[in-house]
Amino acid sequence: MAEYRLDCMGEACPVPLIKTQKKMADMKVGDVVVVEIDHSCAMKNVPEWARKEGHNVDIEETSEGEWEIYIEKTK
Amino acid sequence: MRVQDHKIFKIVVKDAWSYTTGAILLAVLNIALFALSKIPWGVTTPFSYWGAWIGKTFGIHVEKWYYFAGPHKSALNMSFFTHQGSIMNLGIIVGALLAALAASQFKIKKIKSVSQVIAAISGGLLMGYGARIAFGCNIGALFSGLASSSLHGWIYMVFMFVGAWIGSKLLVKYFM
Repeated sequence: MAEYRLDCMGEACPVPLIKTQKKMADMKVGDVVVVEIDHSCAMKNVPEWARKEGHNVDIEETSEGEWEIYIEKTK
Repeated sequence: MRVQDHKIFKIVVKDAWSYTTGAILLAVLNIALFALSKIPWGVTTPFSYWGAWIGKTFGIHVEKWYYFAGPHKSALNMSFFTHQGSIMNLGIIVGALLAALAASQFKIKKIKSVSQVIAAISGGLLMGYGARIAFGCNIGALFSGLASSSLHGWIYMVFMFVGAWIGSKLLVKYFM
């Protein structure tokens, strides 16, 4: 059950989503990735993609205009 | 209770609106704009005018260019505050700023790397050039084009996807 952090601060779409997809492909079931973003569009498309894939997703606003997206690989 | 904790504030100001809500609002506002001003919404044509006005100030003879000698001749007699499109672009920027501030999501972002700068500038130049030869951007040519049942809107859509596909391949290959 490893936890990875993915620094996507300052990155605009579609970079955070592509980076997340790449990272998720390397992870094992049960692993968690925390995607750090400050781009509000990524707050919509990253969770949307992860939920569609069936993973567990949680979003936390860590600061003004900054978010952490927790994604647990389920399959 | 703080106003920020209110349910309606969260739905309207804080959370992202759904694509359907956005689409309906854009359609209604574009109809209103067209009814009031007789010009449908566009974004990038004003950018070419801004460039021309700046160029003219520095003594570049933009009036000799085909674009400003023919189809956009009247642009050279306008200024920022007498040109509808320029004021609307200013409105988009101010409106987006107010929305970000209201949601407490305003942030000045750091530039991450030199390659990010190169990608942004070259992408911007390509999009700007593309918008000129296509007679508009995804707003003027696509959105307003489709709304006026013009074939060019649909042709634009097909090639916009081709461009986006090539662009994303280049992005992944060279800038990530």
